[in-house]
Formats: sequence, structure tokens, C-alpha cells
Amino acid sequence: MTGLIILATFVSMIVVAFASVTQKSLPDAIILFMGVGLGSVILFYLFQAPDVAMTEAVISAGISSLIFLMALKHLGEES
Amino acid sequence: MNFKRDIPVRTYSGFALSALLVLTILTILLQSSVEKIERAGDKLLGINAQEGVANAVTSVVVYFRGFDTLGEIAVLFIAALGIGLMVSSHKSAQRHKEESNFILQTASKLLFPFITLFGVYVMIYGHLSPGGGFQGGVIIASGVLLLLISYQNFEVPHALITALETLAGISYVLIGLLGLWILDHFLGNFLPSDISDMGMLISGGIIPLIYIIVGVKVGSEMSMIVQNLIQRSDDE
Amino acid sequence: MMSSLLDWFIQPDVITAIVAFGSMGLFFVGLFGLLTQRHLIKIFISISLMEAAVFLYFLGTIFHRELTAPILGDGHTAFTGMNDPIPHAMILTAIVIGMALFALGVSFAIEYYKLTGRTDINKMKEMGE
Repeated sequence: MTGLIILATFVSMIVVAFASVTQKSLPDAIILFMGVGLGSVILFYLFQAPDVAMTEAVISAGISSLIFLMALKHLGEES
Repeated sequence: MNFKRDIPVRTYSGFALSALLVLTILTILLQSSVEKIERAGDKLLGINAQEGVANAVTSVVVYFRGFDTLGEIAVLFIAALGIGLMVSSHKSAQRHKEESNFILQTASKLLFPFITLFGVYVMIYGHLSPGGGFQGGVIIASGVLLLLISYQNFEVPHALITALETLAGISYVLIGLLGLWILDHFLGNFLPSDISDMGMLISGGIIPLIYIIVGVKVGSEMSMIVQNLIQRSDDE
Repeated sequence: MMSSLLDWFIQPDVITAIVAFGSMGLFFVGLFGLLTQRHLIKIFISISLMEAAVFLYFLGTIFHRELTAPILGDGHTAFTGMNDPIPHAMILTAIVIGMALFALGVSFAIEYYKLTGRTDINKMKEMGE
């Protein structure tokens, strides 16, 4: 059962990552990148690594994506 | 989609797929001899039972590999320095932010104490449950970010944050040098750390103290980075 | 039939193979984005995807189903039968440094845009190509 969940999470992460890289509008690309971070947190939990999961959740799906979004405002692409 | 120039995409994709195949075969072959490999982690868990804390990852990050954590803090400091140097003037950037509406202001005022409390809890109990200095510091910085985007005239007090960050950085090195003086190796554990205390809040010697110092430094640095990225002056 | 299929998925060899294929696939998606996109921020997102793939591969190949997390909780009283804590500490450091790198890179991109007004890497002609 663990193997099936890992397989399903990997497949959905690859699909969301491909959608994020080939998006036209930049805020959508960053929000989809947060989805890849969520899949990464689920996988770290299944690999029995709670410290790494908490760090990845706070940093990647939290501060890093918010820094990207704030930078977009200065680049003039906020929509 | 437009490709940028005539890069051979097929070459790169063939290379990547063959690398994938080689890695897979190597990994599966390595699994068959896993009983003969003795991992460093087993010995370390044995040593941790004598002079460590309940969270093995914390004792590896702070105590057994404490010098690497010092280098990581140095890298974070250089990144924050680089971002801070690009702000050309320190005028308050009230014209950058728009006035946000009433729901956001009330909700952020309610949520900020709880976020800070949770961040401090994760920081202090880092040696007993998953968590630690990095996670707690970044949680506090995200609470500060919430306040920064809801209120127009809220600024992180510059002198206080700089003083906190400097004191935390200096005291990390001072504790290491104190361990060098008392116990003849850098970051030696000179506070009492009995094995009978494992699971208590005050246990493990200098390990919770150093992780709190790391958390304070990371939290204040992330707050300064976030504020610098929001407030940038338009004129040169 | 369903129970034998689920039993096949639980074997450690199969889990390692799934982790290897999946993380290398994610790495390849990031590499594809790095090679073909033109906006500066998209390039940073692709680099971040490649880093996440490497972290997943690192922690996935040392994972055994019978061993637990390296923390003493309720029910455990001894440090036996646990996963390896050293790679966890290394990945923690690498995640934090990756975030610092992105903050600095994004700051550079903003300053470059303020200087010249361009974010398309085809149009950056300062190095003469």
C-alpha cells in the first residue's frame, strides 16, 4: 500500500511540475510550484523523516514561494 | 512553445533517459548487498544513547556536525547581506503598499500572537520532538510577513533586529570557544547532560541552547530579507 | 489477486525503483524547463525543481519500511531499529541553503530589471553574443 501511494504522488508531482514550467502567466506557475512542494512534503512523511518534512513545508511551500510572488510585483507582471 | 535556439533537445532527452536507466539498475543492484554494508548511522545512534537528546537528527545537526551548521548560518548571513546591500535608500515605502481591507487587518492582528507562540514552541522543544531552530525561525518570519502585508505603516524595527542577529551570531561562536577552553574541542558539551534526563526539557547540555540561538538568528534574518524585498525604492 | 498485487508493491526493491524513476523524471522536467524557457523567474523555478528531485532521491533510497523515524517517541525506549539520521541532517542544511540562494537570485533579477528593463534571456546582450 505504501508503494502505491508513493507511485501516485510521484506521478501527480511530475504532471504538476510540467504544468508549472510551461505556463504562460507567472503567478499561476508559482502557485503550481507550491503544489510540487506539497507533494514533496507528503513523500518526506512517507519516508519516515518528520524533521525534513516540516522544514520543506515551511520553507518551500511557505517563504520561498512568497518571495517569488513578492518579486513579481516589482517586475511588473502581477495580474 | 518557442525554443530559444537550436539546442539539440533530443540529445539531452536521450542522455537524461539513459542516466535514469543506469541509476535505476545501480540502485537495485546495491540493494542485494545491503546486509554487508555497515552504516555510519547505526554507530552514531549508539553514541547518541550515551550523550545525546531524544531527537537524533537534532543532535546530529547541532552537536556531532555543529561546525557545518555554523557554515550554513554564515551562508545565510551572506545572502541577507547581499540582499540588503541592493536597497539604495532607506526611505519608508508607504507608497508601495496599498491600503488593505478590514478583514485582512483584523485577521492578521488576531493570528500574529498565535503564530509567534507556535514558532517559539517549535524552537524550544526542538530536541524532544520534530522541529528545531530553522523551522521555528521561519515560522516567526512568516508571521511578520503577514503583518507586513496587511498594515501600511508597519515596519520591522531596524536597530532591534540587527542587535538580535549580531548577538545570536556572536554567542554561537562564544559557546564553541568556551567548549574549546573547557573540554579541548570546539563545541564540546560542557553543561551537565545525564542520560537519565532524556526526555526532559532541560537535558542534553548545550544542544537546546544552541538551537535556540540558531532559531533567533534565522528568524531575524528572514524578517529582514522579507522586508527588503517588499520595500524597494523606485528612484535611483 | 489484489492482495498479491499489493504485496508486490511493498517489496523494498520495487519501492526503490519507483523512487529512482520518479525523482529522475522530476529532475528531467526541471532540466527541460531550464533549457527551453526564456523568462528569468521560470529558470529559477526549474532549478528549484531539480533540487527537490535530488533531495527526494537521496532520502528515498535509504528508506526501509520496517525502520521508524529517528526520534524517541512514546513506545520507543532505545535507539534501535531506526532510520539513518545523518542524511536527514544533510538534507535539512541543503534545503535552507537552497532557499537563501533563491532569495539572492530573485533580488539580482529585480535589480537587473530596474537597470535595463529586460527579463528575457535572449535579449541580454551584455556578454556580446
